[in-house]
Amino acid sequence: MLGIGPFGPRGPLRAPVPVGGPAPAPRGEATLPAAPRGAVTRPSRGVSRDGHDGRPPKKAGTGTLAEERQAWVLLATVDGVGERTLERLVRTHGSARRVLWLAGRGRLQRRLMSDVDARPASLPAPVLAGIERVARDRGAILAVLRDAGVWTLTLLDPDYPRRLDGLPTPPPVLFGQGDAALLREPRTVAIVGTRRASPVGRVDASRAAAALAASGVVVVSGLAVGIDGAAHAACVEAGGPTLAVIGSGHLRPGPRAHSALVRRILERGAVVGELAPAARATRGTYPRRNRIIAALGDAVLVVEAPERSGALITAHLAMESGVPVYALPGRMGSELSAGCRALLSEGGALPYEGVAALFGDLGWHWAGGGEASAHAGRVAGSGPAASAPSRHASPQVVLPASGFGPNRVDAIAALTLSDMESELCRVLADGPVALDGLLAAGASPGETAAALTLLQLRGLVRTVGGLYLPAGPLLLGPP
Amino acid sequence: MLATLITAVVDGLEGALVRVEVDVAPGLPVTHIVGLPDAALSEARERVRGAIRNTGYAYPQGRVTVNLAPAGRRKHGAAYDVAIALGIMVASGEVVASGGDWALLGELSLTGEIHPVPGVLPMVHTLRRAGARRVGVPAANAAEASLVDGIEVVPLAGLDDAARLVAGPKGRRAARARRTPPVAVSGPLAESRGTDASLVRTDARVDLAEVRGQVAARWALEVALAGGHSLLLVGPPGAGKTLLARTIPGLLPPLDEREALEVTVIASVAGLLGPGDGLRRQRPFRAPHHTASYAALVGGGPRLAPGEASLSHCGVLFLDELAEFDRDVLEALRQPLEEGSVAIARAQGTIRFPADVQLVAAMNPCRCGYAGDLERACTCAPGEPERYVRRVSGALLDRLDIRVEMPRTRPSDVLLGPEPECSETVAARIALARERAASRNGGRLNARLGGREIVEQCRLATDGRDLLAAVAARRRLSARGIHRILRVARTIADLADRASVSSTDLLAAADLRDPAATERAGLAA
Repeated sequence: MLGIGPFGPRGPLRAPVPVGGPAPAPRGEATLPAAPRGAVTRPSRGVSRDGHDGRPPKKAGTGTLAEERQAWVLLATVDGVGERTLERLVRTHGSARRVLWLAGRGRLQRRLMSDVDARPASLPAPVLAGIERVARDRGAILAVLRDAGVWTLTLLDPDYPRRLDGLPTPPPVLFGQGDAALLREPRTVAIVGTRRASPVGRVDASRAAAALAASGVVVVSGLAVGIDGAAHAACVEAGGPTLAVIGSGHLRPGPRAHSALVRRILERGAVVGELAPAARATRGTYPRRNRIIAALGDAVLVVEAPERSGALITAHLAMESGVPVYALPGRMGSELSAGCRALLSEGGALPYEGVAALFGDLGWHWAGGGEASAHAGRVAGSGPAASAPSRHASPQVVLPASGFGPNRVDAIAALTLSDMESELCRVLADGPVALDGLLAAGASPGETAAALTLLQLRGLVRTVGGLYLPAGPLLLGPP
Repeated sequence: MLATLITAVVDGLEGALVRVEVDVAPGLPVTHIVGLPDAALSEARERVRGAIRNTGYAYPQGRVTVNLAPAGRRKHGAAYDVAIALGIMVASGEVVASGGDWALLGELSLTGEIHPVPGVLPMVHTLRRAGARRVGVPAANAAEASLVDGIEVVPLAGLDDAARLVAGPKGRRAARARRTPPVAVSGPLAESRGTDASLVRTDARVDLAEVRGQVAARWALEVALAGGHSLLLVGPPGAGKTLLARTIPGLLPPLDEREALEVTVIASVAGLLGPGDGLRRQRPFRAPHHTASYAALVGGGPRLAPGEASLSHCGVLFLDELAEFDRDVLEALRQPLEEGSVAIARAQGTIRFPADVQLVAAMNPCRCGYAGDLERACTCAPGEPERYVRRVSGALLDRLDIRVEMPRTRPSDVLLGPEPECSETVAARIALARERAASRNGGRLNARLGGREIVEQCRLATDGRDLLAAVAARRRLSARGIHRILRVARTIADLADRASVSSTDLLAAADLRDPAATERAGLAA
């Protein structure tokens, strides 16, 4: 076993962890031993003199695991080194440390051992130059990681998420910020959909994400604008953790419009990806990112996807690996949900019927009552939601933290809903409505707008493009 | 022989005296005009010669020199034609001047007819201040000229009338028989004058009853017009933005005396007053096209003409397709929006045009227009809608008091909805609210109140202050943003005839004050 490495002789199988790792537990089992926080190795700690003491690392099986995993991380930061190149490098030279040692002396060959068929492969010149650069400036590279607050998880680590094992080509190194323990949370659901989301789609995504977060499920999504953003934001508002999988480096996570969202996600959640911090997103990185999203979710929910949407790639990847896929059919005739309806009609996907049904399908224990009752408890601000089995669900969904003093927040939150506000909430819980649709008989636009502003202040309503959308606790159902 | 006459020039909105001196001397038959004339004025030579001859007088056979004093001031346009012609006729002895405090204005045609010129109102005003008792103006300008008290206005149809005015009842030499019959140049030429660039003509009124659905936008418009608050309408094509804007002329109260005179002076200088147009009573509504240039919008150009911002002084400037306007042009609007006037700096000095405008703008949410639509897919690339909105600078958007989104109307709203209120009802409410505000604010609209004044005028109770603080904190409002909410709230209270601003007014105003800003400041999702 020693000397073969995690890829083994027959391709990228995940080998048992070389040095005393725990035996792999069945996937998704709730009794998984929780990894201590310190289990996430920060590469900065492991900086060694390896490769600089003049002694070549032997062909294989030498050095500490920490040094080898650091070499993996360094190699993974090279532009053009993906899981396949990394595997071939390690197979050709026996270890990543030796690759770097050779590269540091300009002795790294471009020729690579081929994997399955015997065809020879070779490193492109820019990649070789990149490896040599990394071998020379390893300190600077590790400093970039450290300064960006990025941790890493490699296939060599015992903490490497088991959900990714099912992938044909698991990312050899995961880069992440935030709470790494989320990768081992027992219950996860991926929410995906189009970037050009309609207000209806946004509300559906927010509603599903809020309900899942309130039930202790970690919502996984891709940090894109549209459905992804709505799902992440709803989790954040609900005080739950959420996991964003990005298709670029951590220095440029997602679209610029989401910089505030990223900060909020990192308060409780995590942002992970397989690219080095400085890497830029390219055409191919997002579809590759989708395979990680599909693998990290115990189920995948497609909220709104037109035909030929990237979200459908995620759904199909999930189906191929046996992950259940749920979809919302959308409004009748809406082009934006054509992909979802295709998923449903082709028989691959299940219609999404709410959190309780999803828990039942997945065999999870459902502790909560109805979603509406959970909401009722929250609006009144009376302690944690009854339906939240997770330590992450927070009762503080009314008025997310903002700049003004707590007394005034309480004063507003403690106001009981007037008849008009209750009525507005009932209408709004069903989805986006314009002011015209909210004017009750006899109420003036001014009174209605005033009531809506108050509901916004309480975090129950938000507006986008002239439409009023349910938010916060209202996503879980009408009062 | 030498003759001296008085006429006037308009500079910005102010008139200035110009003395026309004509010397006819023996020599080669040439005519010179000196005193910094522009091309149109240099050509007066030919117009004057033709007009004199075709009216039946003799043009002097000798050296004619026309001096326009003060010599250092640039002069342009054709308003001096009549004065030059009479100067030549007096100097050559064709007409014997009776003397007196008279002045002449007008453009000549070759037939001897006198055509209207722009800026007669301020010019006559200047002449009166300078002591003139009688002024001859083109007949088509007589109505505006007679707005000036204390000076006798003599309408001039042709050169003969001008000669009669100059010669007085006795001194005039009999005109000889006309050598050519006059050519009728009438209505169409007069109407084609002026450079009215507006797409929506002020007479193309729409009644508010024609706008179906869009309750929120109708209400926002009512509040905006009642308080003079600037308004931005955002919505997809077909939502009714332009239609709603066209109802504005029918909703605004008429101008008061002082405003009417200012508006008429600007219209006069811009050459927008038609024949016989007197005092303008209706508030201007200008809708320049989005290809409008900087000079067209804020004024300037070689003749220092007032721009659209000044032409809509005391009224509404409507910018349709706001994001399509040139960025620099829009930036130039910040000054009139802040100060109520435009200053155009030139080497010879700065000219100030009044531009106390209420801005109403409309734009699509994105290039295709369907971002955020409930059913239709937006065909813009991701990120494109944000870029589209960013074409309008944040500084300008921040100066828009009220922002209202107009969703696409559904057929059921258009066909089945309740009969909406008509313009008359809403206009009455607006007029009442404006009166209440004016009597409290010393004649000003709520939108023109300073920060301290508006805080005093609102008389907020404690709960109102707390609510305002909560809104401000949640939306991260600046002091300017808070004052803006207060001004709008004051107007909402005025519409409901409340002495102090209630919490409901405040919250409703907060809803009108760009609710989407919350999203932008917080979680963009």
